Amino acid sequence: MSPERRVSEAELHAYVDGELTPDERALVDAALAASPEDAALVRDVRELNEALRLRYADRLDGPLPPRMRQLLGRVPRWPAALAPRQAALAAGLLIALAVGAAGYLLHEYLENRSQPNLTFVFNAIGAHRLYVQEVRHPVEVRAAEEHLVRWLTKRVGAPVQAPALAELGWKLMGGRLLPDQGQAAAQFMYEDSSGRRLTLYMRKETGLNNTAFRFVESGDFGAFYWIDRPMAYAIAGRLTREDLLSLANAVYAQLEKQ
Amino acid sequence: MASRRDAVAAEIPRLRRYARALVGGNAEADDLIQDTLERALAKLDQWRDGESPRKWLFSILHNLHVDGLRRKSRRPPHVGLDSLGPEQSAPAADGASGRDLDRALQQLSGEQREVVLLVGLEGLTYAETAEVLDIPVGTVMSRLARGRGRLRTLMDYEGGDKGGDTGGRAALRRVK
Repeated sequence: MSPERRVSEAELHAYVDGELTPDERALVDAALAASPEDAALVRDVRELNEALRLRYADRLDGPLPPRMRQLLGRVPRWPAALAPRQAALAAGLLIALAVGAAGYLLHEYLENRSQPNLTFVFNAIGAHRLYVQEVRHPVEVRAAEEHLVRWLTKRVGAPVQAPALAELGWKLMGGRLLPDQGQAAAQFMYEDSSGRRLTLYMRKETGLNNTAFRFVESGDFGAFYWIDRPMAYAIAGRLTREDLLSLANAVYAQLEKQ
Repeated sequence: MASRRDAVAAEIPRLRRYARALVGGNAEADDLIQDTLERALAKLDQWRDGESPRKWLFSILHNLHVDGLRRKSRRPPHVGLDSLGPEQSAPAADGASGRDLDRALQQLSGEQREVVLLVGLEGLTYAETAEVLDIPVGTVMSRLARGRGRLRTLMDYEGGDKGGDTGGRAALRRVK
């Protein structure tokens, strides 16, 4: 169709893996627009990477076997990358969730990961990626419109809340309704003073057991997701794991109070 | 030395994630990590200042993994689960997408699997991956393309596994 040079398969992989210079990227972008096959490869590889991160995410936050802890002396039990302050902050929630009833639930959940449909996490990440870059229509209904939460609650079929994150520097922009495997899901979007955006995705979930927070990363953004029946949640943003975790904590704490 | 130990400890979650995906079982993966940590702690002083702890630890893990495979292959009577195809291993009763992914990964060659996981799961750059595995960057790239192509086929993405730039790339249709 076009006289453009066809890009090689290696270049397509390098494109997904962030190994290209801006000029090379532009070339691939053009090729992708012209070739559905190339676009499919890029899409599949991205999906594959996300599937890998999801599949093995539990290894990142599981407790260490005693022999490893012993070997290292004082190894933190929970996400080792956390700074002490956040770790202390996180500890309350994580221990409450993990050591208590959730120890068993988590185990059971991991064992039964087969059917559990974690598609909502994919959907949440997909919706995040799609809408955070919207300049003119980032949300469907703005936060100022008071029917926002009522409308989403009605459509999602369970009480939906838009937590206030202003104390952490995040202002609610609004929300939108999204399809999720034949169900309705809600996405709230927040923005901070520097223009960074954060989304909180939720949908009804009655089939899966409750989980502790799980972290996944995709490219340069990350997401924490958890299930707290009757809802499943995912919070995503281009933030560090620690920042996202404190936001997830804040969201969780507010939802608990409702 | 204490800060070096902390730096090693901080990498454990990622090492465990990688090892789990690499060897396909939690217990086997943790054995590998345990060996990696013991080796790393024994030669903390060989870790050059400024060198990324992640890269250093992944290299140690890789070497131990390869040694382990070599030892296994010298004992032919033992048939590892890894070498069984999907039909022969546990019956596919779970229909799990996660387990499908486990199985598909285990059907790659070990070399392809390492590259697919270091780049795709752990987010290492091609250069870092090449250093960890002690192979040229070009080899990283070709193993990556082959491994991912094969995974696309195994995971029912249409049209993978063309094994190179043959021009016959993915068809549009996606079977699910």
